[in-house]
Amino acid sequence: MRTGLLCVLLCWAAVSVAVTPPRPDVSMDALAASDRWQALLHINPGATLRDRHRSYVDDDNFFLSETGKEDPLAELLATHEALQLPGAQARCRFPARYRFLAQSLGWEQAGAFDHCAQYREWRAAVTASRAVLVFPAAYLNSPSSMFGHTLLRLDQGEDSAVWLSWAVNFGAVSTAQDNSFFYIYRGLAGGYPGRFALVPYVQKIQEYSHMENRDMWEYTLDLDQQELDWLIEHLWELKDINFDYYFFDENCSFRLLELVEVARPGSQLLTELRFAEVPVNTVRALDERGIISERHYRPSKAVELNNLREQLNGNQQALARRLADDPSLLTSDAFMAESASDRAIMASVAYRYLRLKYRKEERTDAVAKDSFALLTAMNQLPPVAVPETLDPEPPEKGHGTQMLAISGGQREGNQDFGELSYRLTYHDLLDNPYGFLRGAEIEGLDLTLRSTESGDAKLEDLQVVSIRSLAPRNRFIQPLSWYVDGGLERAWAGRRRLVRYLQGGAGGSWQWGNWQPYLLTSLRMENNSEFDTFVTPGAGLDAGILYRRGRWQWQAGSVGHYFTNDFYRYTSQLAVQWAVTRQHGVRASLEREGWRGDGDNEFKLQWRWYFD
Amino acid sequence: MKKTLIAAAMLGASTSAMAVAPGGPGCGWGNMLFEGQSGMPMHLLATLVNGTTGNATFGMTTGTNGCDTSGALTYSGQSLLGMTGVMEEVAQDMATGEGEALTALSVSMGIEASDRAHFNTVMHENFAAIFPHQDVTAKQVMASINDVMKKDQNLSKYTV
Repeated sequence: MRTGLLCVLLCWAAVSVAVTPPRPDVSMDALAASDRWQALLHINPGATLRDRHRSYVDDDNFFLSETGKEDPLAELLATHEALQLPGAQARCRFPARYRFLAQSLGWEQAGAFDHCAQYREWRAAVTASRAVLVFPAAYLNSPSSMFGHTLLRLDQGEDSAVWLSWAVNFGAVSTAQDNSFFYIYRGLAGGYPGRFALVPYVQKIQEYSHMENRDMWEYTLDLDQQELDWLIEHLWELKDINFDYYFFDENCSFRLLELVEVARPGSQLLTELRFAEVPVNTVRALDERGIISERHYRPSKAVELNNLREQLNGNQQALARRLADDPSLLTSDAFMAESASDRAIMASVAYRYLRLKYRKEERTDAVAKDSFALLTAMNQLPPVAVPETLDPEPPEKGHGTQMLAISGGQREGNQDFGELSYRLTYHDLLDNPYGFLRGAEIEGLDLTLRSTESGDAKLEDLQVVSIRSLAPRNRFIQPLSWYVDGGLERAWAGRRRLVRYLQGGAGGSWQWGNWQPYLLTSLRMENNSEFDTFVTPGAGLDAGILYRRGRWQWQAGSVGHYFTNDFYRYTSQLAVQWAVTRQHGVRASLEREGWRGDGDNEFKLQWRWYFD
Repeated sequence: MKKTLIAAAMLGASTSAMAVAPGGPGCGWGNMLFEGQSGMPMHLLATLVNGTTGNATFGMTTGTNGCDTSGALTYSGQSLLGMTGVMEEVAQDMATGEGEALTALSVSMGIEASDRAHFNTVMHENFAAIFPHQDVTAKQVMASINDVMKKDQNLSKYTV
């Protein structure tokens, strides 16, 4: 190693005097081990299990040395050799690395990129004086969005013109045809490369806020101009460079932390080991280190429509709805009888509803004509301001993503039991609601062990996945509510035994103030050693009602199935949870499991602790 | 039901698809008002991995796709108004007299902060002239905006 270093040094001395010799007191070893160089190479400092102490980059084009991926010093030396001469082409590919070497070794910085026309053109277009972490929140009916997403926005300084900002997005590069479950598995397990993309932020607003009805939370990062310049210059180095994409840990959010680490090395964002990086964790990590200075809430189009709509009374809402179907009602007596400001709100609601409904569809003359008629009416009526959402709940203030729980209870009046539960992720209908979507549930790996007086701890429940989306229907939108749930649970069939099941269904839900009733059909497939066939299907209903008030969440419901072997089983439950603090909750539940002729009652009191 | 189950979420396919009117020229100047963003299939996978399909532009000003950039700032080789969906937002903001899209348009046209409120008012008052019917194209709208600005003494200095 030292001989190689000496050779390189001698080579430098032998080359023309135009080359600035390195300062003799700067050790290449120290530089290679420095935080910034490690960050520029995306070396894993121990954040995830894969690729420990190697670079996360999975692309030969990123490395100048053959062993660059494992050996930061080799890469540093190769970079030094490739970038040192004025006019070196490699400088145009690695501007951030050049800046690093120039600052560390005293190289000339003025005019260093004069020969890099493409880079200079790009750099002139991509400037920023502010970086903002954007978090498009979850969206009902889209389970894949429930974990959220994070992207970076680069603002040029005009507070009011973020539409002209750039968005930095890390995502997997899939092809348009991939839609089957095999490809979904690939996406989760590193089968697709991940890349950084730089697109106009307005496109992201269209995608998330307008198309997907997702609220967007925007967190201003406390990075100064120098730090931003490092980030942008390094971004150029990542153009068309492949990383692996793993849905759980090396995903969009994780890569953004790597970018912030380049801007501000030593932030300690990547030192803790993690098995999953949920986007909200990224926001929390940055917040804890004081890197977030401001927060801004951008409601989705659906939320804006809702806020406007709620200013109207029932009759006016009905009229606005009819107006969207038939703008000729603009001249009707019923409409004209209302005040100008109410008419303005009704026209705005009708217009927004119509656009929300047809925005994703092929343009038709009829809809365009109707939209235009309403828009013209809006122009002629007084302007309407969309009322702001009162106290929107920032997602990073919600409870932690993992959960541990202990409970005690009694079954059938005489069988006491104790339970221990662990859930990997994320949130159910009764968990502390702050910062979460109402009516949305997504759980993965929920394990419960139960111990009774008469025996050891046994597996009570292992829910592999449970997703539930109860989206309220109203005059303006009629979404489908649905659920899917699968795993192992103890159920009665002759005796209480562990069965494997998969169930799901769809139906509707409604919102009446704090009450949310739901009614879904349900289909269940059960693998039960008591039954004759390997898999026994059953059909039935899942119905219930949710009530929420302050820190208290209530649920009463019943789910039952009638199986093909003339067996039926239902479970009715009344449960309530009190959100003690952000990360602690107490849940009480009363449950009856019933079957033909008989049933069992169970009462349980549970303490739930959430953590990241 | 299947559509909803497989995520009622739309991810724009490739960024170039977002920017181009179906079958239209490279810049979206031919986009009509209320152009729908149809033809983009719903991908559970795309939403799951928050990815982009095809080539991401990476912010390059290509300048070679024949876009007519007169009158508005080029932005990734294409003017703001020509981007799919933007014209509709601008129209909505002009109808009411204010909004983020309208501000973005004024900034992209180089209008100074002190003149923007006036710009908004003038656009609001001349809505019918700028958007005479639903079939206007982005190109026509840009031309009409310029015409309206020429007639205003404060704004005429910004016209092309």
